[in-house]
Amino acid sequence: MTGSPLERLLVRLAEVSDLTKAATLLFWDQRVKMPPGGSEARAEALATVSRFAQERFIDDEVGRLLEELRGLEESSDYDSFEASLVRTTRRQYEKAARVAPELVGEMRRAAALGLAAWGPAREQSEFEQLRPQLETLLELRHQYVECFPQPEETYDVLLDDYEPLMKTAEVREVFAELKQELVPLIEEIRAGGDVDDSFLDAEFDPETQRRLALEILRAFGYSDDEWRLDETAHPFMTTPGAGDIRLTTNFRPNDLTALFATMHEFGHGVYEWGVDRSFARTPLHAGVSLAVHESQSRTWENLVGRSRGFWRWFYPRLQEEFSAQLGSVDEESFYRAANKVQPSLIRIDADEATYNLHIILRFELEQDLIEGRLGVADLPGAWNARMEEYLGVEVPDDARGVLQDMHWAGGSLGYFPTYALGNVISVQIWERALEDLGDLDERFERGSFGDLREWLHEHLYVLGAKFTPQETIERVTGSRIDAKPYLRYLRRKLAPQLA
Amino acid sequence: MSLALLKERLGEIADLQHAESLADWDSRTFMPPAGAEARADIVATLTRISHERFVADEVGQLLDELEGTDDETDAALVRLTRRDWERASRVPGELAAELAHAAGVAVAAWDRAKAASDFASFVPYLERQLELKRRYVACFPETPVAYDVLLDDYEEGLTTAEVQRVFDRLKEVLLPLIAAQTGRAPELEGPFPVERQREANQRVLEAFGYDPARWRLDETPHPFASKPGVDDIRLTTHTDARELTSLFSTMHEFGHGIYEFEIDTRLARTPLGHGTSSAIHESQSRTWENLVGRSQGFWRWFYPQLQPLFPDALGGMDEETFVRAVSAIRPGLIRGDADEVTYGLHIILRFELEQELLSGTLAIRDLPEVWNARMHEYLGVDVPDDAHGVLQDMHWPVGLFGYFPTYQLGNVISVQIWEVAQRELGDLEEQFARGEFSQLREWLSEHVYRHGSIYPPRELLRLITGSDLDPEPYLQYLQTKFA
Repeated sequence: MTGSPLERLLVRLAEVSDLTKAATLLFWDQRVKMPPGGSEARAEALATVSRFAQERFIDDEVGRLLEELRGLEESSDYDSFEASLVRTTRRQYEKAARVAPELVGEMRRAAALGLAAWGPAREQSEFEQLRPQLETLLELRHQYVECFPQPEETYDVLLDDYEPLMKTAEVREVFAELKQELVPLIEEIRAGGDVDDSFLDAEFDPETQRRLALEILRAFGYSDDEWRLDETAHPFMTTPGAGDIRLTTNFRPNDLTALFATMHEFGHGVYEWGVDRSFARTPLHAGVSLAVHESQSRTWENLVGRSRGFWRWFYPRLQEEFSAQLGSVDEESFYRAANKVQPSLIRIDADEATYNLHIILRFELEQDLIEGRLGVADLPGAWNARMEEYLGVEVPDDARGVLQDMHWAGGSLGYFPTYALGNVISVQIWERALEDLGDLDERFERGSFGDLREWLHEHLYVLGAKFTPQETIERVTGSRIDAKPYLRYLRRKLAPQLA
Repeated sequence: MSLALLKERLGEIADLQHAESLADWDSRTFMPPAGAEARADIVATLTRISHERFVADEVGQLLDELEGTDDETDAALVRLTRRDWERASRVPGELAAELAHAAGVAVAAWDRAKAASDFASFVPYLERQLELKRRYVACFPETPVAYDVLLDDYEEGLTTAEVQRVFDRLKEVLLPLIAAQTGRAPELEGPFPVERQREANQRVLEAFGYDPARWRLDETPHPFASKPGVDDIRLTTHTDARELTSLFSTMHEFGHGIYEFEIDTRLARTPLGHGTSSAIHESQSRTWENLVGRSQGFWRWFYPQLQPLFPDALGGMDEETFVRAVSAIRPGLIRGDADEVTYGLHIILRFELEQELLSGTLAIRDLPEVWNARMHEYLGVDVPDDAHGVLQDMHWPVGLFGYFPTYQLGNVISVQIWEVAQRELGDLEEQFARGEFSQLREWLSEHVYRHGSIYPPRELLRLITGSDLDPEPYLQYLQTKFA
């Protein structure tokens, strides 16, 4: 191959990116459009395309090029595209090249089997059906950890897959602070009496919901030229190429939760949408980490979508479309219901405050599992005891307990903490946006979201993966990850619900 | 061992093609427009990698080791793979990439030229395509005419001279048949609300054997069928409230879909796991669209269901008039809208012109004039502008020279196979009149579909019908139907 080492690296990375995007499209199609009969052939195609992407990335040639490019990296400005590309690619390469393709294949297979067992196990609420798969997955995770130099804590290796360079100790510190404040806060809210949200328990025509969700998305910045919105049982966002952002949501006939889920997925989408397009087909053309990604989905779902200003703008529209259900409900009552805090069993239905305790519980159990302090067989017992302790709820069965999430069954250990970290980071960034932009609520009331989107675009989205997550957070907020802004926000917002 | 290795390699390539096929389908159905550039990169990369993996020397070595294998299916696999491998290996990667790239560029130029009906702006792109095609032909051993090489890409083993003979014979019968048409055929007057059309399409598809767990039907401006993988058949159609054509295009695409769907799944992820040629494929789309979908029996069953769906348009029209309306001979400008009889002349005209272009006896700048003159000569119609003339099809812009004849050969073959089916199954129309299509489907599956590409097209035709390509059954069918 001809060209400078940088050009040659870019060609190679473009090829890997194309293969990865092809796999992304295969995956999206499988969840959204594929007739069920196609699943077997699709599994083969996905395995082959993913394998090609992995093989071509960990190829020795990539390693050699990265070596040759050390000089260029050192002589270029740290912030330059060239230095950032070489730095980020090297980190990913060194990590990926340590893991034997056989182990990657085995983990992928075990994950597929785990997910296949999880569905029926959850339906029948029988943890025992999933236990052997979880044990295999845990064993493979240990083998995976072995591929890396001895970490301070085993969990560090797992966490690093989702939150590069983040250490368990740092997460533990942030979570300790959250727990210390949130457990009594939630206790206080419980004592404060009930917020009436009974009017949300009604029939809401899914077609109308879809129309309303699109109205909101368009005000946020969605356009038919670059985005899609489809429906799936579990909402997600994915992007099979620059300029091609795909959201899914789940409009249910008996509640309005899909409006929030749609805004959540928009937050993931707009982050990817905003990454500098000149990074396309390189590892820099992506959100920097799961926690930073989640900070943006939470921003658009909660900080925007559950704000007073937002509902001042949109409630009249919602009321108009659902006059039978909401005609006699005033804006204030609706706003309170949309922000109601109430301990419950299911993570994905949890409110802004209790959500974090669902995560902390999982984070603790994951560490206990990987450190061998907790056997897989004892997991349901430990789960139920901690739910009682943190949220004061009794778990009636495993379906609504330890089996509710697919993450562990799919081999994702170390993923959960990024959700709560996303909440924390979202408010850190939000405070800076408020400093620069002034009153956002006043803009939202007018249905104007462009200033916020542009600010986030300019300060965060455009960076893509040029810097590490920590560097990115520091550049945007001026500080390291810090729970205080988030706790301040919650205290202020939930004050009316306190005893 | 060699066989397992070969199959592994071919499986891997089939998986990449699966991804490519999905990427193409998605770009024509659901992709947001701004995704086009990234999509072109993805498709180019998948194409390049599967080409590299296929033309690799190891594949040639494995094929050598497997020569003379006893098993019939394995032997067919080795035979077809060797043919594909030798053809692919002859073409340098550079040229393959240039061809792919020129197609992409030319399609965009064609879109603009067609919209403005401006042939002159398209001339440089057509020149480039022809130049590349000549270089492509030069990669192969010399043939009596250059066109043979192109034809062989789509229709293995067929020569230009043979097509010429068939087409000469068709012309001899079709021209007077068209000239003899007098009097006006009944016309269908819309509107035909699209939702109702969709319902009609769905009913017909389900009666034919469409299974929602394994098929999809979506809407695109140009209907097509594709199969990303086994048990995943995707059809598209185009509904327009002014016309009832989507029903016929849906049946047409069903024919392509059912052929792919019924291929023995043991052939999956190998080159044998697809229909054996473009003409045989087209014979099946034409079977379901015309031989079934425009038959008296079919409408005896379906017209009573269709009529209530469109009370305004069809309430006052009886079944016989309706059948005449959807079968009538109406010489027109557009190939895609042509009836069963005039369709052949649209193809023959293209077949003649593309040979003349390739050999250089026709200059590109003279193409519109010659096109228009021949449209007048064959069909008696005057072409008002190039958008309705020489710029109407996407084939030449994407570099498909030698493809058009397979459409008309499909018509010819469809009736050859149909005659055998009728001999063995008895009165098919009587079954259709009861909404019963499974005997025909199963028969076709048994004799045509399940074999995939185990037999080359002409051998398959001989196995089914006992004869080679023969225009007489088709001509008899037309003469009976339209005389």
